[in-house]
Amino acid sequence: MIELKNISKSFNGKQILHGIDVVYEKGKTNLIIGASGSGKSVLTKCTVGLIEPDEGQVLYDGKDFTAMKLDDRKEVRKEIGMLFQGGALFDSLSVEENIKFPLRMHASMTEKEMQDRVNFCLSKVNMSGINDRFPAEISGGMQKRVGIARAISLNPSYLFCDEPNSGLDPSTSILIDNLIKELTEEFQITTVVVTHDMNSVMEIGDHVIFIHKGHKHWEGTKDTILKTTNKELSDLVFASDLMKKVRNLT
Amino acid sequence: MKILQNIGEYFILMGRTFSQPTKASLIRKQISFEMNSLGLGSMGIITIISAFMGAVITLQTASNIDSALIPDYTVGFTARQSMILEFSTTIIALILAGKVGSNIASEIGMMRVTEQIDALEIMGVNSASYLIVPKIIAAVIINPFLAIWSMFIGISGGYLIAEFSGVVTTDAFIEGVQLDFKMFSIYYALIKTAVFAFIITSIPAFYGYNVKGGALEVGVASTKGVVKSSIVILIANYVITQLLLI
Repeated sequence: MIELKNISKSFNGKQILHGIDVVYEKGKTNLIIGASGSGKSVLTKCTVGLIEPDEGQVLYDGKDFTAMKLDDRKEVRKEIGMLFQGGALFDSLSVEENIKFPLRMHASMTEKEMQDRVNFCLSKVNMSGINDRFPAEISGGMQKRVGIARAISLNPSYLFCDEPNSGLDPSTSILIDNLIKELTEEFQITTVVVTHDMNSVMEIGDHVIFIHKGHKHWEGTKDTILKTTNKELSDLVFASDLMKKVRNLT
Repeated sequence: MKILQNIGEYFILMGRTFSQPTKASLIRKQISFEMNSLGLGSMGIITIISAFMGAVITLQTASNIDSALIPDYTVGFTARQSMILEFSTTIIALILAGKVGSNIASEIGMMRVTEQIDALEIMGVNSASYLIVPKIIAAVIINPFLAIWSMFIGISGGYLIAEFSGVVTTDAFIEGVQLDFKMFSIYYALIKTAVFAFIITSIPAFYGYNVKGGALEVGVASTKGVVKSSIVILIANYVITQLLLI
């Protein structure tokens, strides 16, 4: 479980996050939604320590991450897997070496054990057999899946996904969403997904947080979101004709 | 003020780079990769430039000696001293600042904008150490060898042009090359080269590491890295010369 308490952040005098409190439950897919520039990526970066919040606490299973020294943070970070928007695979390394990288850094494994782990992770994301290919040689969707394989290679307790569907076709998007959901439930991971894709919300939104102008404006589930009376959230969720039709049906 | 801020940020980054070392096994692999990439990858351009520099120094010195009182071996002597003291160190460093520096700044800059550096940080890796230390160590080790190679090729270029153009006899050229040779000149050149290697790698790495934005900013960082490292090389050249030779 991850708990955020009163998280605030400003850049150059402009307040981006205003005292956000959230609890991300274990074994659930927690979605952060909001319009572009609403502060959802900054919130996620504050949560994983890529950006230091000006105020507030981030607690990983009760341990105050924000107050930790660098060495202690490293221990927590071994438990964190993250899928970045563009995959963020290391260009100079093959798919296999990308997945082995966290293992080489943190795990005491033999080459054979690492190889087995790589094959296991690749099979989990339906990408077996592409070990020797380089990131530039595979498609965006495949890069995302390899990114997930790398993120789960150390058996993380927490998984963060920053816009996992951006730039993907609808069927690949659903594939990635289902993969995140399956992994979350199978390994009881605390998963946080940043997205503004309403299909993702409907597919995997166990717990949904809506961020608007740096404030937590709404919190609920994929079921309650369709009945929301929150104006800003309605404007975001029901922006498309398709979602308007869905609302009429419900 | 911006300059002072940059200098401060540069030293903070260097402090971070060397304070929390990455696993030795991973760094070793990276160092050998970088030695190949930064060092051996520059052999071609260094060979061509050094050969022509040696040849041109020989021709210019010979063509400027009008007085019969100045012995012919002065040409070889000048070629040797110029190559060892300045051309194979400072000029080669400036050329490498352009070639290697832009490469480092754009490589690390692209890693920044594509979130690969964030990915390293999330994995609990000191990204500054992992990315910058191997480049600095590789350059500090390999660049003195490149300087020695450049000296050899430059003096050989001078010898060949003396042979083919006839501006000075090869015997006189060789005599000049051997005249009053001081081993300290080589030590001085190698110390300079090692310092320049640090500058060539660390300053562009600093600009690449701190890129914010996209491809355009990576280009700007690459240019800044080359320009600033070239200026610092010239300043360091003056300081080291003042300290060691005067």
